[in-house]
Order: sequence, then C-alpha cells, then structure tokens
Amino acid sequence: MAATSGFKKVFELYVSKIPWTLANKEMREYFGQFGVVKRCLLPTDKETGFHKGFCWITYSAEESLSNALHTDPHVLEGAKLQVQRNRRHQFIPESTQKNKDSDEAL
Amino acid sequence: MAALLRSARFLRFSPSGSLQIIGTKRNGLPLGGLYGGAVGGRITGPCTRRVASGVGNAPRPCAWPCASSGTMRGYTVSTEQREGDASLGVRSKQAQQFDWALAKLDNSVRRTGRITKTQLLRIFHDICRAGYPSGNQALLLLRSCGCLMPEMPLADRTDLAHRVWDKLQELGASYDSSHYNALLKVYLQNEFKFSPTEFLAKMEAANVTPNRVTYQRLIAAYCQNGDIKGASTILGFMKSKDLPITEAVFNSLLTGHAKAGDMESAVNVLPVMRGAGIEPGPDTYVALLTAYADKGDMENIKKTMETVEEAADSSLMDRDIMQVIFSLAMAGHQQHIPELVERMRHERGYVPDAMNLCLSLITQGQEDTAFAILKTFPTLQAYNVNSDSPDLGNFFLRHCVNMEKPVEKIVGYCKELQDANLHASPLFFTLSCALEDKKTGFSHELMKAVKEQDLPLRPHYFWPLLVHHVKDSNTAGVLDVLKSMQELGVPADAETFSRYILPVFPDKETARRALEEVGCSLQSEGFLSSEIRSFATTSDLAALYATLSDPSFPAMDLTAFRGSLIAGFKKSDNVENMVKITEFLYNDPRFCRENSTPAEAVSFFLYHLIDSMGERDLHAQEEKLRQYFHKLKLQNIVIPYNIYRGIRNILASFNLEDLIKDVLFLVDPCDRVTGAEGKLLMLEKNLAQLKEEGKPVGAVFKQLILLLCAEDKLQRALELKQEFEDEIGRHAGGCAALINLCCRHDNVEEAINLKTEMSRKDSSAVLDASKYLALVKVLAKHGRMDEAVDMLKEMREKEVMLKEHNLTTLFHLLNGLGAKGDVGGVRRLQDTVFALGLTRPTGNLCSPLVSAYLQNNDTPGALEAAMECYKRFKQMPRIHDIAVALVEKGNTDLLQKTMDFVSQERGEMTMLYDLFFAFVQTAHYREAHKIIETPGMRAKPGRLQWYAEKCIGANQMEPLDNMVELTAKLFECDRDEMYSYILRLCKETNDFHKAEATWTKMQDENVIPRERTMRLLANILKSNGQEVPFEVPETWYEDISTMEEVQVLTEAPRSRMAAADPFRALPTPDKAGINCTTRMLTLCKKKRPKEAYGMLKDADQKGAAVNPAAYDILIRSLLAEGSLEEAMQVKDMAVSCVSGFQLSDIANSLLIVTLSKNGQTEEGMATLKSMLQANQVPMTLAITRLVQALAQGPEADAAGIQEVASLTKALGSPLAVSSMLFANNTALAHIRRGEVESAVEVLEAVYTAPGSSFPNMSFVYRKVLEENHDEAMDKLSAMAERLANHFGCCRPAADLFLTLIDMDKVEDAKFLLARCNAVAEQKAVMVSYLAGLSKKPGQVDKVKSLLSLIPDFTEKDVQYTYMMKCYAQDDDLASAKALHEQMLRERVDVDDLSLKRLAVLYRRAGEAAPYAEPPESFKFYAEKLKERKAQAERGLESPSLTSSLHPSILCP
Repeated sequence: MAATSGFKKVFELYVSKIPWTLANKEMREYFGQFGVVKRCLLPTDKETGFHKGFCWITYSAEESLSNALHTDPHVLEGAKLQVQRNRRHQFIPESTQKNKDSDEAL
Repeated sequence: MAALLRSARFLRFSPSGSLQIIGTKRNGLPLGGLYGGAVGGRITGPCTRRVASGVGNAPRPCAWPCASSGTMRGYTVSTEQREGDASLGVRSKQAQQFDWALAKLDNSVRRTGRITKTQLLRIFHDICRAGYPSGNQALLLLRSCGCLMPEMPLADRTDLAHRVWDKLQELGASYDSSHYNALLKVYLQNEFKFSPTEFLAKMEAANVTPNRVTYQRLIAAYCQNGDIKGASTILGFMKSKDLPITEAVFNSLLTGHAKAGDMESAVNVLPVMRGAGIEPGPDTYVALLTAYADKGDMENIKKTMETVEEAADSSLMDRDIMQVIFSLAMAGHQQHIPELVERMRHERGYVPDAMNLCLSLITQGQEDTAFAILKTFPTLQAYNVNSDSPDLGNFFLRHCVNMEKPVEKIVGYCKELQDANLHASPLFFTLSCALEDKKTGFSHELMKAVKEQDLPLRPHYFWPLLVHHVKDSNTAGVLDVLKSMQELGVPADAETFSRYILPVFPDKETARRALEEVGCSLQSEGFLSSEIRSFATTSDLAALYATLSDPSFPAMDLTAFRGSLIAGFKKSDNVENMVKITEFLYNDPRFCRENSTPAEAVSFFLYHLIDSMGERDLHAQEEKLRQYFHKLKLQNIVIPYNIYRGIRNILASFNLEDLIKDVLFLVDPCDRVTGAEGKLLMLEKNLAQLKEEGKPVGAVFKQLILLLCAEDKLQRALELKQEFEDEIGRHAGGCAALINLCCRHDNVEEAINLKTEMSRKDSSAVLDASKYLALVKVLAKHGRMDEAVDMLKEMREKEVMLKEHNLTTLFHLLNGLGAKGDVGGVRRLQDTVFALGLTRPTGNLCSPLVSAYLQNNDTPGALEAAMECYKRFKQMPRIHDIAVALVEKGNTDLLQKTMDFVSQERGEMTMLYDLFFAFVQTAHYREAHKIIETPGMRAKPGRLQWYAEKCIGANQMEPLDNMVELTAKLFECDRDEMYSYILRLCKETNDFHKAEATWTKMQDENVIPRERTMRLLANILKSNGQEVPFEVPETWYEDISTMEEVQVLTEAPRSRMAAADPFRALPTPDKAGINCTTRMLTLCKKKRPKEAYGMLKDADQKGAAVNPAAYDILIRSLLAEGSLEEAMQVKDMAVSCVSGFQLSDIANSLLIVTLSKNGQTEEGMATLKSMLQANQVPMTLAITRLVQALAQGPEADAAGIQEVASLTKALGSPLAVSSMLFANNTALAHIRRGEVESAVEVLEAVYTAPGSSFPNMSFVYRKVLEENHDEAMDKLSAMAERLANHFGCCRPAADLFLTLIDMDKVEDAKFLLARCNAVAEQKAVMVSYLAGLSKKPGQVDKVKSLLSLIPDFTEKDVQYTYMMKCYAQDDDLASAKALHEQMLRERVDVDDLSLKRLAVLYRRAGEAAPYAEPPESFKFYAEKLKERKAQAERGLESPSLTSSLHPSILCP
C-alpha cells in the first residue's frame, strides 16, 4: 500500500490569552488568514459560560501552520494572543511515510 | 500566621498598665493571639482606625496601649473544657483544619489586607460541616466580620457576624469573654447600633464576666454615638473596679465629645491625657483629625497635622491620612480631599491600603471619591504581570458592578480610564464582571453602552447569563435573555440555540411557540441549524430528514451542521435513514457552498465521517458502515477517487482492509477500474488520444509519470520518457520522481541523464534533499565518486537543506560504503559533506570512516582516523570498537596509545571505563577486574547504562553478567539498577532460570530491590509458570482481597515507613545501630521476623541502640506471623530501651487481630479500649476481627459486640466500618445462643429502617449454612421472603440466593427463585457477585449455575467478559476459545480486554492467537472498558452496575 503523504500529521496551534470577547468565529476568521482552518476548538467552561481563554487551531497544511507561527505578534481586537505550536501530538517524520515499509511499525 | 498574628508581636503595655500578660496559649496551639484583638498589620480600612482609635488597638506597633484580648486571655481560665461526644482524635483533626483555615485567611490578609465574603463563607461552611466548632474557630470567624471585609455593606457584615454567632453556638461552640469582645469590636467597626446595657445583661445571663476590654469597647460604643453620659457611667464603673484607663479610652472620649458637638472638650482631652501620664499617640491625633474632618474644618486639620509632624516621636502614615479622607468623604466634604491626597507619601503597602479605602468608599456610596483615589495609583500599577495591556482599576470596576452602581457612571469611569490609557478595555472587563455575577438587566445596560461605542456584541456574551438558567431549567430566564439579545440586535447563533436555549424546553413544539411569542425568528439560520443539530445529535434521523427535505427549508452550508450529523450517524443504527439523508444531501444543491457541488460536499462529508470515528468506533461499527456503503451504492452515489484514497488511508491504518473494498465500490467505475491500474489505463488512453489529436499532452503526461513512479513501473516510465523526449525535462516534479525511481532500481545511467536533461531545460529546477542523496548513493555505489561529490556541491549551491531524516539516510549511505571497507569513498564523501557545511559533523556521521578501517582489519588506520576526527571535529567515534579490536589482537602498544589519547582528551575516568568495557567485551575479566579496582573509580551510571543497553540490544548475557559482577564493589554503584539490566535481558530471552538465580544473587549482595525490579522479576517468573517467591508490590489495581489480609497490613505501613525512615535511604551504614536497624528492616521485609528478633536480642545485649520505629515494625511483622509471644517480648524490650514507647496504631490493631484470632477476646477488647483512651484510631480490620471473634467465641457475646459498636461509634466518621458488621455478627451470636428470633429481629430492623441502604447479609447465611443450623436457616429464609414479598426489599433474598449458589446448593437456589421472582431483578447484586467470582480461579461452575438460573440478568457482553476472565483464571484455553467463538457467532462485541486475556491463554499454551494480541497492558484496556461502560451507563443512570464492574475487570 503506497501510503500517500501523511494524513496522520496534525498541524495544530495552541493559542492562549484569548480575551473573553472573542469566540470561535473570530478565531477561525483571524487564523483563517494563514490558511484553511480545519478545526478550531475553543473550550467553554460549563459552569460559567465563559470560554477558557485558550484554543486549538488545526490547519490542513503545514504551510498554514508555519505562516501563523512566523507571524508575531498576533494582535486581535487589541489583545495580544499567545500562539505556539501544539505539542500534544507526536509528529511522524516524513521519511517513515515514504518509500519505507512503515506500515508494520504502526 | 504572621499577618494575622503580627499584632501580637507588638504587644506593649500602656504606661499606666497595671496588667500583666499571662500565657496566651490555649489548646496547645499558638493561636491565642489570633488577630490579637486588632486586625492584621496591614489592615487599614478607614473605619478601622476610626473605630480602633476609640477602642485602643490600632494596627501599629507603638500604638498598642494594651494587649486587649491577648491580655484578657490571662483571665479566661480554660473555658475549653467542654467534652462533647467528639473524641479527642476528632478534635485534633479539627485543630489541623483550623490551622488550614487560619493560614488561608492569614494569607489573604497578608496579601490584600482584606478577606472576601466568599472566602469567609467557605470556611464558615467547612467548619459547620465538620461539626464541633472550637472556640478558636468561632473567634476567627467573628473577627473577620468587621472591616476586614470592605466590600460588604456594614449591615450585612453585622448580619453575618450574628449568623456565625448563632450557628456556631447551636453547633456547640462555647463562648467566653473573648468572643463577646470580638462581637463588640465588630459592632464598632460596622457602626452597629446596639444597647450596651443589654449587651452586658446578655453576658451576665451567659455567665461570662466582662473584662477591661469589654468596658473599653462599650465606652467606645457610647462615644461613637456621642453619648458621653453613657460612657462616663462605664468609666466610673471601671474606676471603681480599679481598672486602668488607657489611651484607647481617652481616644474614645475625644471622639465622643466631638460627636456630641463639643469640640472644645474634645480638644481638651489631650492635656487631660498628659495629666494622667499618657502621651497622646497617633491614634489620638487621628481621632482628633477625624473629628475635624466630620466638620469639614480643613484649617484645623492642617494645623493638627503640622503639630504631629513637629512632634518627634510620632508621625502620620498614609493609612492614617486615608482615614481622614474617608471621614471627609462620608461627611460630604469632598472638596478638601485632593489636598489630603497630595499629602500621602505612597509608602510601601500604599496600593493595598488604598484599594481597601476605595472599596469601602464604593460600598458606602462614595464611588466618585474612590475614583479620584484610584487615579492617584502609581501608573506602574496599570501593567500587571499577567497581561500586556494596562488594566488598572479592575478591582474598582468589579466592585462597582457588585454594588450595582448606575451604569452611566460606570461607563463614564471606563471612558476616563481608557482615555488616560490606564486600562485597555475597561468596558468589556466591567461587562464580564456583570456577566459573571449573572446580572441580566445590568449586563443589558452595559451592552447597550458597548453598542453605542460601536464595539462588537456577540452571541456568546450572553452565555454566562444563559448557562445558569439552563441549569435551573428556568424557561422564563432564558426568554428574558433572548429578548435582551433581540433588543440589542444580536441574533442567537446555532450554538447559542442548541446549547443554551433549546435544552431548557421540554420539546421542540414548546420551544417554537415560546420563541415565536418573544418574536424570535424561526427562520434564522441560527435557529434552523441548531434544530437540525439537535435532531442529528439525538439521532432522530427521521425528523432530521423531514426538516431538511421540507422545500421551504432555506439554503444552508452542510458544514454548519456537519459535526452534529456525524455524531448522529455514529450513534444511529438506522442505516436506512442514514442513506436517505445522504442521498438527499447528495442531490439537493441547497446544502453546498457556492463554488462546489452537492456531490462533492457529500463526498467530503463521508471522509469526515470516517476521519472522526476513530479506531474503536470504526471497528465496532464496521458492519453498519458496510451496509451503509452498500446502500449508498444502490442509490448511485459516487465519490471521487481522491476522497476514496483519503478514506482508504484511514481505514488501512486501522487494519480495516475489508471495509476499503466497500468504499471502493462508491468510486466512479471509470475512475476505479482496479484502483491505480485503472487509472493508469485511463491516463494512457487519454495521452494517446491527445497525441493523436496533436494537442498538448503536458498535464496528462506528468500525471502518468508520477503515477508510474508511485506504482514502481520503471520500464514503462522510461518508455514513455523516450516517446515524449521533449516533455520530460519540462516537468520537474515528474522528472524528479523518475530520477528517484531510477536510483532505486540502481539505474545510474538513466538517473544521470534525466538529471542533466532536467538541468538543461530548467536550470532553476531543484531536487529535494532525499533525491539528491539517492543520486549520491547510487553514484557512490558505482564508484563514480567525482560525480557524487559534484552532486553534493550542487546541493550546496542550490541551498538544499538536509533535514533530520536526511541525516539518517546520509549515515546509512556512508555506513554502507564503510561496511564494504571503502575507506577512500567514505573519506571523500564525508570530507565533502563537512567541508561544504551541509551538516554538522556528529559522532554518528564520523563513525563510518572508522568502520571502514575496522572492516579492512586495519586497526591502526582506524585509530588514526578516530584521532583525526577528534582533531578536526571533536568527535571520537567507535573508540570502544577500536579498543576491543586492539585487545583481541593483543596490540598493547597501540592500545596504550589509544588510551593515552582518550585519557588526554577525555580524562582518565573515561579512559578507564573504555578500557574496562573493552576487557569485558573480550572476556578478559581479570584485566577488567583490575581496572575497576583502580583507586578513585566511581560509578558512572550513564556509561554503565550505555554498556548494559548495548549488551541487552545485542543479546549478550555473558559480558553483561560479568559487568554486573565486576562492579559489585564499585563505589556508588546502584546495584538494583545493575541487576535490573540483567533481568531485562532475561525478560527479552524469557530465561527464568537466570532470573531466579539473579534474585538469589541480589539477596546475597543484600540489595534492596526497587518495586519496579520486583515486578519485572515476578513478571518473568509468572509468564513462565513459576511461583513467585516473594510478594509482588501491590499496585492500586491489584486485587487486595485475595491476599492474606495481614500481609497487606504490614505492607502498607512499611511503604509508609520507607518515606519516613532515613535509614533506608542510606545504603552505606557505618554505625552498629544503624546497621542493625537496616538489617532488621530487611529481614522483616523478607518475612523473616524471627531472625530479625534474634538479631535484636543480640544488639540489645551489645547495647546497640535501635531506631524506635524499628521496634514497631518488628512487632508488626511478628504479629503478622501470629507470633504473639515474641511480639510482646519485643514490646517489653522497647519499653525498657525507649522511654515512653507506645505501640503505633497499626501495631495495636494487629495485636487486636492476633488476639481475636487466638480467641482472646477479652484482651482484644482491653487493647481496643486502651487504644481509644490513647486517642489512637484502630483499623477497620481490627474491629472486624474482634467482632467476629466475639460472635464466634464460646460465649457468643452479643453484648460485647454492642459494646464495640458503641465504642466505635464514638470515634465518628473516620472509621469506615461496614454497617452490617455489627448487625450480622450480633445476629450470628444470637443464633449461636439459640435465640433465632432475636437474630431475625436484629436483621429485620436493619432492612426496614427508613433510608436503609439494603446492605449485604450473605455472611450470616454462609455461617448458618456451614453450621447446618436448619432451624435458623428456615427462619432467616422466611424473613428474606417476607421482606421481598411484603416490603419490596429483595436484598436479603438475593443474598440468600447467591449464597446458595456459592455453596453449590443450586436446587435450593432454584426453589427460592421460584418463590421470590423479584430476586432475578437484582441486577447490581448479581453483577457484583459475578465480578467477585471472576477474581478467583475455579469458579466457572458457579457462574454457569447462576446463568442457568437467571440467564439474562445482565447484558451478554458483561457476562461474557467475566466468563472470559474466569477461564483466564483457570488457564482454560479450550473453554475460552469456545466462548470466543460463541461470542463471534452471537455477534457480541468482544472487547480488547477479553481478547488480551484470550491471547495470553494462547501464549501460555504455546499456541499462536489467530489475531494480533492487543498491544497495550491489561490496565489500559480495563480503563478503556471502564470508560466505555461509564459512558454507556451515564444515560441509563445505573451507577451501581458500573461501580460493581470496575474493580474486578481491572485485575487480569
């Protein structure tokens, strides 16, 4: 099975210090300028109804991720967002995806 | 405690003080001076000083005329004598909690100078919940109810104080004069009007004698109201009692005169004071200034301040001035405030003091003054640590919201703050406060202001308001908010509807009607998509279909509800409906974006569906998906090939190859044919056609080349290339792919040709690093080094960067050459790479050169190369291998040279290790031994690990074993670690003999193994079917009940000891006593307490001192063995050696257990009583054993059991004794005495008691059945049936039923079931019994009996999981296999845990499982299952079932 370029890769940002006035829509719009946002997860506190001040932005392309990471500062409606690459996921290096029998390792 | 207690440190006597401070301790806690009557050092609250000035304990060192309550304590003689029903044990716990509460409040006061209402209330509730409030706790709470809470209105503070007072009194707190004085102080601080005479009467009624402080404060109270006459009465009274008149009294009088309007007398107090020998202090002046401030007499204020400044020994602090400001504000003389503000010096601590002033002012309606003060804050304050933008005044705005100040005013403040650049977004901050406080109306007004300023308003702003309405199901509340949203022109979006609005309505119709009533559009996109979402997530696919297919439904992008639709599909079992919806969406253009087609949107949806399902769901729902795909096919739904590919990749990664075929059917047949083959054919056809028509072929050609490369069809690709000679160079991508393919097929000529062609056509075309390296590799392989080097140079020129994974390729490239011994080739490439700077030289990349020499058997060359590498790149590759080679050859000269080199460059220690490892590797153990004995050698864990890992990796036991043995005496060598390496290799090779020998060796060496090592060893032994000769350290999920209980008891305290006992941490004992202690502990640990006892006796004779804790451990170990006599002898020894030696709680508990086992119930009872007297808390097991012994003893002592019950009850909650312990055993005792009726009475009472939890009484049945006591059995059985049939309480019958099954009386059980059908419905009881059974081997028959009688008491998968566990326990592969097949046949979901169990059975039997063994641990799958059950159960609300599932499933 010729595995095509890695759908397992996750291009995800972790954004914090988000002011309460911004919601999912605004985050999507803002981070959409760097590329297609596949997913935007901004968790809400079930007790208070406020969001928790941080979110994850998933891009579908690595380029978008690096575009976002190379921009600094990220200022949205006067607030400076803290943006970093999300470290939750282990990335699978490209070399194991191409021309190697990586399927067994997985 | 400092801040709260600080005042106590400053205690000073008034000049006239005739009082003495006597010890202020109380209850043994240093809390006597809590607040010391005044508030913490930092407390300023304007009212503090004002009131304080009247009372005489202001928060400053020099102004402490008299230690009010501290002193007073001297008089109160231990009022804490109340002995309630709480034991001392409970009380000491209370004391701890009190420390905690105090620390918390103290911290707050220290940081901010105040306490918030929430903080205080939380502590209040905690204290109430814990019960038995102590006097100190009451004091703490009462004292906090004054000006420590500037945010609370004065009246509320007093109310709170009264609530605390009454509640704690009700809970049994006893009050002394300190409490009354505290209450008085709170009254003064809160300006509460009360009658002093009544207060005194109350004290008298409570039989509490007022003291000087009481009188002082009463005087202050009179004076606060200007009642000089009242004050004088008290004053006279004080004089008659010969109590000293302090500065505080004079200060009060000054205030009193002023309040009475007699400024002259007020001023005159000062000379009178002096006449009495008391110099006016700052408090006096503050009282005077305050008096002027009340009148707005700025002239005199200034004058007085100057006087104070002139006086050398006192000056006014900022917080004094703040108090004057406060008075001015309160009296309405704001105009003078700026002048005073200027006088403040911004001392340290200005900000918190000023904050408290602001808060007080706001609370009391003076927010404008507060705002003026706020603006004087140092601007640095605006930038706090946590944010990048200024946010000064958050506290101010928040409090304004709390106090619901007029919105216009707040908006004005906000504007001013923002304009002055003190706050970046004050209005939004204020709004967030209002929202947090759930002030709907207030928020609405603020949002209006937001809107007016053209700032954005968003639907989620309303969530905080909605969230609690939803929680309370408050429909009206939700509609209010919705109205507010509409008024503000913020339409609710889908999320708001589906999460915060619709859930509050019982059904959709009601919701629609209500929304329409408030004028909310039902056609808005937000509402509609939320409605769709709700249908989708509740899996109501039929309704969803109806809604969507309604022609009036507006156009809406599928992505707006895609997530919910996926969730709905995942949950739904109705494939028909899924297909219907999919088909509909596939054909209706309303649901796709403008520039796409519905077919595309649906294809994407399918991809997302699969993508979001995850491995577990995909496997679980494979069949459903298969049907779904099949039916989609029947509906002529077609998906593009690339979507198929995406889905295929997901499915392939989860090993769902079968399902892939089903998806493939959805691909357009001409797209599909047979996957890539078909595509190839199609492209070839297209190409031929284009060529024929003479059209440009570029795009198709490129696609075809790429596909051919991906499919590894070099031949055809080359043919094609030939055919379209001109094309190839134009398509860099295709060309590159082809080059790569050529390299892989070792076709160096074609590769180079293509490369040249590509460069010729487009000089800017660049290959990527991996393709360049492929070229280099193939060139080097064919010995065309020059070209290879050129390639590398070109990489440099074109700035192709080497990435991490390219480096690995590069290493393999070089190493491949090295393995062939091509020294020249390696050297040339290596030099080029480093010289060009393509990458940094690393040890790894340098090593192939040395390898090449070694390969050629040229050790001197290898050494030269390594040394050269070091000189050039500071890398020393493969020194170990060089040394090994030299040792093998016996080339001592070169070896010497090598070692000199290493020693010089890396130090002697490194050299010695290198030499050591070389000798070990070559089996020159004698030499190795000499090396390791070199004086000054010490363990280098990193190096040792390196070598050990190398051995483990290469499966070399001999050198590893020797290395471990040789390092036995090495200084600081972690022996446990060393042996664990051996064990790890044993595990790899599954060599349990070696493992066992290692274990023995460790004991020889006296190594105390870590738990990890023991588990590893146990693991090896167990998996080889060997007995484990020691107790495996328990992990939380292990089954405790099957172990010998007493062992558990000794185990637990031991591990606790380990943390506390310093000796275990020191492996090198040097004193006899310590040595002895360690060895004793080791022996105890090894369950050889008798030997330890012998040793102790020896040590005792030699007079070596043993750690007191060791005695206790030894006693416990002896008791655990049942050696009562020896244990008592050790106790005697301990008592004689260590003064005041006492058995620990655990040892005493074990003693009770042992005594009970021996039937010595009387002694057991005595021990229990003595424990309780010594405030020890016995273990549950001790109580259980004692009670059982009492019931079983010859006397069948029901009364004794009752006594234990009442003794235990007095202990209160800390003991978790099963509620049935006493009832069951009392009943048994009765039965033994022949009083069956009494037994039935006892038990019946338990089950018919209101609120009974229907506990388990199997124990009684079992005992009675064991003793064949037919009469009792009949009566108990009758009782059970009666309870079941008349009272609807089936537990006793169910217990009986299960006990019968458990004792193999299946027939009896069957009859019982026939009589009491309801038993079959006791699902939770059954499952928990099943869970218990599956923990022990040999229980399958019982499980089968149970299932034969009640086949369907729970779900099949639960039953089978336990069955599988039983078979696993019995090691019964045949049955397990059969069960597995049955499950597959019946299509019962086989969870991973069962699969894992079965796989282990296969493995043990030496067979291969027909499937891949789930790779994770048992624990992992147990957790997974647990989580899944919990999720499944959440909807069903059957917590008992889930809880009974957890523990048993966890244990493999």
